[in-house]
Amino acid sequence: MRTSELRVALIGAGQIARQHLSCLKTLPAVQIAGVCDLSPAVAESIAERYGVPAWFTDHVAMLRDVKPDVVHITTPPTSHFRLAMDALQARAHVLVEKPATATLAELEQLVRYARERQLVLTEDYNYVFNHATREIVRWVETGVLGSVVHVEVMMSLNLFGPGGFADPNARHPALTLAGGALADFLPHLASLAHCFTGAHRRAHAIWTKRRPSILPYDELHAVVEGVHGTATLGFSSTAQPDAFWLRVFGERGQASTNLFETRLTLERLRDGPKPLQPLLNGLEEARAVRRAAIGTLMRKFKPGPGTYDGMWYLIAGTYAALARATPLPVPVEHVLAVNRMVEALKPVEAAS
Amino acid sequence: MRALVTGANGFLGRCVVSALLARGYTVRALIRPATSVEQIGWPDCVEIVRADLRSARELAPAFDDVDVLVHLAAAVTGGEDAMFASTVSGTERLLTAMVGAACRRIVLASSFAVYDWSAIRGTLDESSPIETGADLYRRDGYTIAKSWQERITRRFTAEHGWDLTVLRPGFIWGRDHGYLAACGQRFGRLHVVIGPFTHLPLTHVDNCADLFARAATDPRAAGQTLNVVDGPGEHIWSYLGNHLKRSGEGGLRVPFPYMVAFAIVRLAFATVFKRNEKLPHVLVPCRFESRLKPLRYTNRRAEELLGWRPPFDYEECLRRTYDPGATA
Repeated sequence: MRTSELRVALIGAGQIARQHLSCLKTLPAVQIAGVCDLSPAVAESIAERYGVPAWFTDHVAMLRDVKPDVVHITTPPTSHFRLAMDALQARAHVLVEKPATATLAELEQLVRYARERQLVLTEDYNYVFNHATREIVRWVETGVLGSVVHVEVMMSLNLFGPGGFADPNARHPALTLAGGALADFLPHLASLAHCFTGAHRRAHAIWTKRRPSILPYDELHAVVEGVHGTATLGFSSTAQPDAFWLRVFGERGQASTNLFETRLTLERLRDGPKPLQPLLNGLEEARAVRRAAIGTLMRKFKPGPGTYDGMWYLIAGTYAALARATPLPVPVEHVLAVNRMVEALKPVEAAS
Repeated sequence: MRALVTGANGFLGRCVVSALLARGYTVRALIRPATSVEQIGWPDCVEIVRADLRSARELAPAFDDVDVLVHLAAAVTGGEDAMFASTVSGTERLLTAMVGAACRRIVLASSFAVYDWSAIRGTLDESSPIETGADLYRRDGYTIAKSWQERITRRFTAEHGWDLTVLRPGFIWGRDHGYLAACGQRFGRLHVVIGPFTHLPLTHVDNCADLFARAATDPRAAGQTLNVVDGPGEHIWSYLGNHLKRSGEGGLRVPFPYMVAFAIVRLAFATVFKRNEKLPHVLVPCRFESRLKPLRYTNRRAEELLGWRPPFDYEECLRRTYDPGATA
């Protein structure tokens, strides 16, 4: 590193960028040196809000003037490849929002380039680092769940609200991706499947459309065979209420969490009379659900990351790894494996 | 004379289009591509231009032969960033397109929200301080967006030598828009009225539109900033009572002293909630004040400058808002 304090620049100052900046402001030995957005007002306002000394509308000028050690890319996905390549060429590490690139070929090109220059390229898989996910990982590692057999990942999210992905007045940039708006969420599903079942061997996806809208698809359901187990992935724009279910089935227990809330429950094999197991599991689950109902509400009243706790954990871990030259929370091999799974799940007609 | 009106399909926009037509203007209405205008009932002379300021790339032709831009478009719902992108980035796109046009005149719809309510005592008028710096970002997304919209419009105006009139309406009310955020907290049929004798900075949509049309046509308005209120304003208690009765909603009003409520909010914010600014608006002191602080309001400046008086008194405004078949 050029100095003991890492200089950070951010490109794309929308909603998710504010989460990155809020987290970066809490990290030691990190200086946010510049922000960039095509809109001067957006760039200037975000700089004013977060006390960033310089703002730009031209990312090349920012890379030249600020000389960042790390660049966060939080623009719409189709711009990621060019911006990440420019940042790598400016000898900066890159943390890119998901989806890292529009195609796997673009990602592989970036990875090659980053490796040649010994730079870090990592992607934001925030739900892998949510408190509940980390707890399930710990249960797997400590044997509470036993070996993972199967994982269900299912997101229900209404995309039809005003100003959202299906707004016919202003086409969302994600609609240019293969699979449309759902492709924007696919890395979340794939990264969670990868976390528990490893790289995929086979994958099959069904993309469908239930409602008339400008979205090419509004439902996705897929089956994946991974190295360590199987996974089913789903995205529904119409099933309500909004929820993001992760269920991990192990040889000794099953864990379930709604990642949009704080709900985390566990059913497991217990010692003692078998007829009592449903009762004991039910009582434990009832306690966990009650705790989560209050916890989810209280989270809204507390400062801090809220639902973005996984992203904050990931960013903090990434900077700690950069400072100590230790393994990253999301190493580039994982980025490649997740994106290979994503590529295998893309709709055939769009991917061909 | 031709006026380009953005947000023409909105609550205020429809009335501004009517008011401009009544003054003999040719109106060009900027409408989002997927919005239906047939049910509005505009006469055929209203020119329709289809564009969404959030994404439009080619706005320059909309300014052909335009004498005045009446810029009303702003997001009033959605997340903070969506509101900023729509209101502020949309204004940037619009004004960038205007740079190459012959049009030199703008009337901008700003808002009472841009004022620094915490700093103001007594009467809020055009000389009152506006929210700036770090404090702005403690306010809600609408305030941040409207403040930046006004800021960049003033910058463009200064840079290109345009004539700008900034109009800052208070609470705009009218048909289907009778229940206001300042009415208090609603719990089913129960309405907790915080500060029942606080005056509301009200402007009926027909009165407000009349001042917008006046400002667009009167050269004395150029370079001016004017608040838009119909007068000192009704008490919240009586206004809400009229609304509940005449709208047929019914319900029970419960008065709660403003100072007690504000003291509770400040104490809770500093202790229980640890100054968390992600809280609902009513639990953040500066946002609480911007909705409910008891101040006085005046339209004296509009009257002195333009001789403007609201064309409709409160009783007539009630009739227009609630009576079936009344002119809206």
